[in-house]
Amino acid sequence: MAKSRKGPVNRREFLKNAAAGAAALAASPKLADGQPTPSTPRGPVPPMSPEAEFSTPPAPEVLTADRTGSDFMVDVIKSLGIEYVCANPGSAFRGLHESVINYGGNKDPEFITCCHEESSVAMAHGYAKIEGKPLAVFAHGTVGIQHAAMAIYNAYCDRVPVYLIAGNILDATKRINAAEWVHSVQDAAAMVRDYLKWDDLPLSLPHFAESAVRAYKIAMTPPMMPVFLVADAELQENPIPDGLALPIPKLALAAPPQGDSGAVAEAARLLAAAQNPVIIADRAARTPVGLTRLIDLAETLQAPVIDQMWRMNFPSRHPLNQTQRSRELVCNADVILGLECSDFWNALHSFRDQINRTSLPLTKPGVKLIGITATDLFSKSNYQDSQRFQQVDLDIAADAEATLPSLTEAIKRELTSDRKRALQDRGTQFAVAREESLQRARDAAAYAWDATPISTARLCAELWANIKDQDWSLVSFTTFVNRWPQRLWSFDKHYQYIGGHGGAGIGYGAPAAVGAALANRKYGRLSVNIQCDGDLMYAPGILWTAAHHRIPLLSVMHNNRAYHQEVMQVQIMANRHSRGVDRAKIGTAIEDPTIDFTKLAQSLGVHAEGPITDPKDLGPAIRRGLEVVKRGDPALIDAHTQPR
Amino acid sequence: MLSLPSQLILGFLSAVVISAAVSVARAPSRNSQNGKHIFETQGCQQCHGNQGQGLANTQTQESAPRIGPTRLSQAAFVGFVRHPMGKMPAYRNQDVSDAELADLYAFLQSLAPPTKADPSSANATKGQHLFMSYGCYECHGNEGQGSTQTAGSRIGPIEIPFAPFVAYIRQPTAQMPPYTAKAVSDADLADIYAFLLSRPHSAPAKSIQLLNQ
Repeated sequence: MAKSRKGPVNRREFLKNAAAGAAALAASPKLADGQPTPSTPRGPVPPMSPEAEFSTPPAPEVLTADRTGSDFMVDVIKSLGIEYVCANPGSAFRGLHESVINYGGNKDPEFITCCHEESSVAMAHGYAKIEGKPLAVFAHGTVGIQHAAMAIYNAYCDRVPVYLIAGNILDATKRINAAEWVHSVQDAAAMVRDYLKWDDLPLSLPHFAESAVRAYKIAMTPPMMPVFLVADAELQENPIPDGLALPIPKLALAAPPQGDSGAVAEAARLLAAAQNPVIIADRAARTPVGLTRLIDLAETLQAPVIDQMWRMNFPSRHPLNQTQRSRELVCNADVILGLECSDFWNALHSFRDQINRTSLPLTKPGVKLIGITATDLFSKSNYQDSQRFQQVDLDIAADAEATLPSLTEAIKRELTSDRKRALQDRGTQFAVAREESLQRARDAAAYAWDATPISTARLCAELWANIKDQDWSLVSFTTFVNRWPQRLWSFDKHYQYIGGHGGAGIGYGAPAAVGAALANRKYGRLSVNIQCDGDLMYAPGILWTAAHHRIPLLSVMHNNRAYHQEVMQVQIMANRHSRGVDRAKIGTAIEDPTIDFTKLAQSLGVHAEGPITDPKDLGPAIRRGLEVVKRGDPALIDAHTQPR
Repeated sequence: MLSLPSQLILGFLSAVVISAAVSVARAPSRNSQNGKHIFETQGCQQCHGNQGQGLANTQTQESAPRIGPTRLSQAAFVGFVRHPMGKMPAYRNQDVSDAELADLYAFLQSLAPPTKADPSSANATKGQHLFMSYGCYECHGNEGQGSTQTAGSRIGPIEIPFAPFVAYIRQPTAQMPPYTAKAVSDADLADIYAFLLSRPHSAPAKSIQLLNQ
């Protein structure tokens, strides 16, 4: 990477150096031969010597500028339609910060104050899941980027676009103090490059404009991922030279890649002829259109859909949603279509975590496997999010959502009238099975209905009863509550579920929920969040962000008072060694003291009540919280729950 | 029918789900001797071994789990035999009746090794404490309700006899970590069993308004 900077004419720098140079000539001792003349730092000019005071006075130092590079950067950001900037303030982007709130009018983008960069990026992650486009994140040099790193990794694994701009001071002679040195870095993106799709270090404002538009386009082209720009402090803060032409390139998003027509025709032939086809959807529906396209495909084939729920892929109560029978269906399938499967292998195998770790295929011999995923179009090697390699019979490197229309049409061409009638019979059987699955889920939820701590089934049922008649959006991951929402609720809109973290980096949940709620706000949707206690404790300051920016969001705590996944892991080891599991809570329990999330949330400006320990009290508390949310503010209900 | 392929029996949880969907006739009596005869004549031993101990072929990645004893309830067992997953073939009612499957089930459960405790004289209150302190609740829930996340099956109220219960805990065939006698005694397991047996059946979901929306 080039370390020298060849920017436009720098008027401020020229004048400042002239004044300082005059003083230095009069007062500085002679430098040793060969020693370079020191550059003037970015700080205040030293006082003049008595000799200099009697010489010809220098021209007055220019201390203000009407328009600086950061103003133009804001013009560029506005041109991309970015609505918000999430950031914890940092001097490395002070120019941009000031330009956003003053020059840009703090609107499109509006500055959202975060208490941690991980929260900033996770907010962007959740926002993009709802809005389908990125918001911007500003990050302080070095420390801010490192704070952001885990959340960037989550977004990368989850194939979500995040638009990062990091401040930095590349020119060492412009760093004024120790803090600026430790907050500067030669290659700012290096620390997160393994999980970025693209990054750049623009050396001029025209360069910034081109790279900013390019970055947005790259982030939004499947597979979507975070992108990263460095906005050097000098480029932000230097005045824009008069007459400098600063065009902003027009943004034209790339059409997502569709599958090869021959391969799609072959997939259609296999699926149309299959007796027991199965569709596994993982990150298939990027947009609301993806959901309707998947419905069209499934209904054309009358094939069951197994929703792995990393996106809102398929209506939860659709007759062909057979997610609760996934293993049985995989075992009996003759053709399986994987749509944007991040872990196709895992969907097709069982795994046993004993001393001798073993796995077995679930599928029958001769099963035909078809994969459609854009992930094949962009791969990195260091981080192992690629998952276990799954051999398939037909691999289509393309965006699944974009490929579905041609695939569905090709299948329709394959189907005769007799075949269509047979498929309808198949669909009728699935409809019966779906009703049975729903009843089984309800029967299972009834067990321990009045238990204390509150069962996760009861929590989800109470929440559903209070939101089902509203325009709601569940902005949290459901794995930790046994998928009860998908088992009991009726999801049929794309914004009603945002999937999960991607990289299993805990701490994603709360800020992603707030980010998604921020996106939902302008549509008037009710955002609800089932919030794990361990997750919230990573960066609880996000509650203050929600309160400060009046982001309406109802959070119901799944407060089970331990990192239970890890309790289990320690238990596995203790059992393996026959040492007893009674000490497995050491290092895993979140008790003694029990965290009072009500007081925590209240101290951060959020309406809160709890802890709720009697399940009969939960419904009324949820209703009181919803009243607050309907007024436009966040609310939190602390419920003490069973581990799972 | 007798020439079975290598078989693969899958998770208990899914089996329970299947079992709930089918109508299972309860056998009036359990004749384990007749069950042994059915076990042999239906060819179960070809994949599961002469004593139902399970067989595995790591080369072909094919295996059949231990089913002597089985951790499935009788209803789940019958449901799985009628609607198996993986490579195990389905046995229809005309192949083997529900009454014959009840005998087969009795035979399989009789293969559990004897225990050193009697749950009929166990202490359910103590068992609840042990259920928590031994961490059973982590995967199975405080009330034994099970969890899709952990794949811990529902075990409350417990539906299998005590001996197979102990046998499975000592030598689990799936994901569950083994609890050896050094870690948990048979007497403690008897108390835990008594606790699980004492768990009340849930009210019908149809009687709970929140579960019908």
